Amino acid sequence: MFLYILKRILYFIPTFFVISIITFLLGQIAPGDPIELKLKGGMQSANQQSSEKLQTEKAYLEISEKYGRHLPPFYFTLSTSASPDTLYKIRKKSDRENLERIIAQYGNWDQISHYYYSVRKLEFAVMNAPKDTLSESTFEKRSNVRLACLSLYQQYEDKSIVNQLEAIKSLVSSNSEVVTTDSQKVSYKPLASLEQSYVEVENAYTAVKEKATPIKNYIPSLHWFGLGNQYHRWMFGDKPWFGENTDLTKTSSGLLRLDFGKSFLDDRPVASIIKDSLRWTLLLNLIVLLIVYIVSIPLGVALATQMGSRFDRFMTLVLFLFYSLPIVWIGTLMITFFTSDYYGDFLNLFPPYGLGKIGDEFGTWEKVLDRTYHFILPIICLTIGTFAYISRQMRGSMLSVIRQDYIRTAFAKGLSPRKVYWKHAFRNSLLPIITMFSGLLPAMIGGAVIVEYMFNIPGMGRVSYDAVVQRDYPVLFTILMFSAILTMLGNLLADILYSVVDPRISFTKKMG
Amino acid sequence: MSVENKNLSEGYWDIVMKQFRKKKLAVWSLRFFYFMLALALLADFVANEKPYYCQYKGNTYFPLFRGIAVDYGFANWNSEFVNADWINMEFETAIFPPVTYSATTIDIANSQYKGPFDEQEIKSFHRKHFMGTDQIGRDVAAGMVFGTRIALLVGVISMAISSIIGIFLGAISGYFGDERLQISRASLWLNVAFFFFAWYYAFQNRAYQLSDSMNGSFTVFFAQIGLSVLIFCIVMFIPNLIAFGLKRIGFLGKKVAIPLDILVMRSIEVINSIPITLLILSLVAILKKPSILWVMVIIGFTGWTGIAKYVRAELLRVRNLEYIEASQSFGFSEWRIIFKHALPNSLSPVLISIAFGIAGAILVESGLSFLGIGVQAELQTWGKLLSQAREEVSAWWLAIFPGVAIFISVTVFNLIGEGLTDAMDPRLKQ
Repeated sequence: MFLYILKRILYFIPTFFVISIITFLLGQIAPGDPIELKLKGGMQSANQQSSEKLQTEKAYLEISEKYGRHLPPFYFTLSTSASPDTLYKIRKKSDRENLERIIAQYGNWDQISHYYYSVRKLEFAVMNAPKDTLSESTFEKRSNVRLACLSLYQQYEDKSIVNQLEAIKSLVSSNSEVVTTDSQKVSYKPLASLEQSYVEVENAYTAVKEKATPIKNYIPSLHWFGLGNQYHRWMFGDKPWFGENTDLTKTSSGLLRLDFGKSFLDDRPVASIIKDSLRWTLLLNLIVLLIVYIVSIPLGVALATQMGSRFDRFMTLVLFLFYSLPIVWIGTLMITFFTSDYYGDFLNLFPPYGLGKIGDEFGTWEKVLDRTYHFILPIICLTIGTFAYISRQMRGSMLSVIRQDYIRTAFAKGLSPRKVYWKHAFRNSLLPIITMFSGLLPAMIGGAVIVEYMFNIPGMGRVSYDAVVQRDYPVLFTILMFSAILTMLGNLLADILYSVVDPRISFTKKMG
Repeated sequence: MSVENKNLSEGYWDIVMKQFRKKKLAVWSLRFFYFMLALALLADFVANEKPYYCQYKGNTYFPLFRGIAVDYGFANWNSEFVNADWINMEFETAIFPPVTYSATTIDIANSQYKGPFDEQEIKSFHRKHFMGTDQIGRDVAAGMVFGTRIALLVGVISMAISSIIGIFLGAISGYFGDERLQISRASLWLNVAFFFFAWYYAFQNRAYQLSDSMNGSFTVFFAQIGLSVLIFCIVMFIPNLIAFGLKRIGFLGKKVAIPLDILVMRSIEVINSIPITLLILSLVAILKKPSILWVMVIIGFTGWTGIAKYVRAELLRVRNLEYIEASQSFGFSEWRIIFKHALPNSLSPVLISIAFGIAGAILVESGLSFLGIGVQAELQTWGKLLSQAREEVSAWWLAIFPGVAIFISVTVFNLIGEGLTDAMDPRLKQ
């Protein structure tokens, strides 16, 4: 028994890490740049000063360090020998992704990085160019050059890069006419100071194309980064496990020490978000589980003992229909018909959504009553399916038990049916129901998403829905991890319970 | 004598079908499924704003058929129909489909939730919205017809993906177990090493081609995936070729058992540990562009565990039967035995799984589109129609009709599954 539990726990560990890696990968390939999102897209405008640009870049770096995004993603990466192992140091996600695209085409990082920095140089040259007081159009030209530079960061196709370069060239070499005081027209190049930087960009890009080594893209290379990576920080944290933390830049304790990170949206610790939301989901589901087990186990037994009777046939049909009832539909029906007076005053029975009274000004009983009132519809929604499922399983499992010989023996020796059913058959027929308990858990968390969304209850389901819509990945993936752990614990618990209820199962010898 | 022959020729499937036919409800469910299938296939002909046939300004036209030809690029519209306002057109004579709107037709005159019994602004009776309209004036009945197509498509395609994965993995884990698949050390090491190369050349190197084609049409994407898989197979062929030669060397040729069963069962546990709705939600969240096709793929790739478990259990039983031993002694290859001899006898429980799986997939899809996640904005699905009922309490038709559709289709597939379970239960066989 003890050995069995130990073995189960040992199995638990690899499964846990595989799930964590899957979750982490999902977070990595998820589109969008959360840091950009945090900066509210205020990164780039055409007329930014160079100091502002540097400031936003600094802010970007700070935020990316705060979320640990300045680290390489994983312990190792399998990439091409063309892409450098320091590519992750280009912090801005969109820039980095674009450079990766260019590398995939040309495979020569030296030239590509030179090109990248020459574009940056041009951009700063534009921003630092002295103000032209002579011609009005210069301002617009400058902004256009700046915009072209910005779009170069996002371009990887040869055609579009060449187009942008040509646009910059024509802007830089264009003439403006100014009428001088003695009414003579003088033509001059307002952006002549940029020409040198532009030529550098053009040369750098030509070098990228000319010295291309695409063959390097076909040579795989394994980069090893060691422990200082995003996954390690997320899982184990970067604070030391033993002893005092002296380095203030190290802020994460890692998932294993219950530090789930912070929400991208409002910087709230994910742990506190989960704590607040889990309360409601657990409360709802515990009530549901209680109702389901109290009602459906006796019902299942009753149906099995009266098999074939009219009651049995009727209830079997009803249970079947309940089982097929989609939660979305029951919820919508109840909200449509029972929460407003549109179809008659007498049908305005329940509040449509929310938790009811919150706050200290209400008494405990008042709150409990109001909460119950608000929870009736969601609980009905959540109960129907599970209730039908468990009752049907209980009926089936009881049926298969009472067909067995030892039950016939018990009847033959003259025991009352009550005693036979409840003392002899019941305990054995409970076995499958116990394993089902562990399978219910993930289904309930899933069902909670829809019900909590419909009735606006701030539980785990609602929070994960919001996280999906708002792309708040730390919250979403923590909930995913968390519910996976809960499910695994549920499975473990079910297995242990199983061995308690059924002493025949020793688990020491492999069966089958 | 002849009676005996007849009994002998009665195969397993004949018995199953005979048992299945005894279940009235299951048989009716199967018929209803055919009906849904027909509705889904012929949705364009059942719900369309264009008439089958019409007389317009003295000429005869077949606008519905022409419209479909135009959609597929085989034909062009006559000049008077290019920007035709089909709903308000006056025809001399016309034969209309049962539902005279398609799912995306917007009837502005009847926008803002017109119920079936409300007064509708329509030119003639055949333009009536029998099931009402939604906020922007789309016909609910048409949405229901096209929703059938989406629901069935999701159910069937996702279960097809699930069954391919589930049957394959279940079969190899059940048949080989932890000990039976033995390969030489050379082969094992080379395969592991080359797996990285194959992965690299097939997927990592082509990542941009793959992700770019994801935003394009699905055929292009499938072609790209197919090419990747082909590269993968070609690269994986090399180590096996080398190992064939190296096997002769004593040390390298030593056999090692691959614990396939443990590997497969562990991955099943991993997938089952993550609540499926949350997993699908998170997977859908990382899509750049929502599409129902991706929902199908995701449901398919997460729903195979049940099937794999069934097939595994069946193969555990079958692999010890005498006829398998016989074919082994013939010296047939293991793969031939699995796929030609063992699997065909183990597939019946998969059908049950598939029936229940389709019901589950329809539920998941309706839930996702109810939440408005993962489905293109322009598609009308049952879940989307239902979600609009939340916005307008008075629109009871939006709460009832799509809900009934989801309910009935889920019930139908559950009933088919139940019927199959009972029909295949050996205890009932006489």
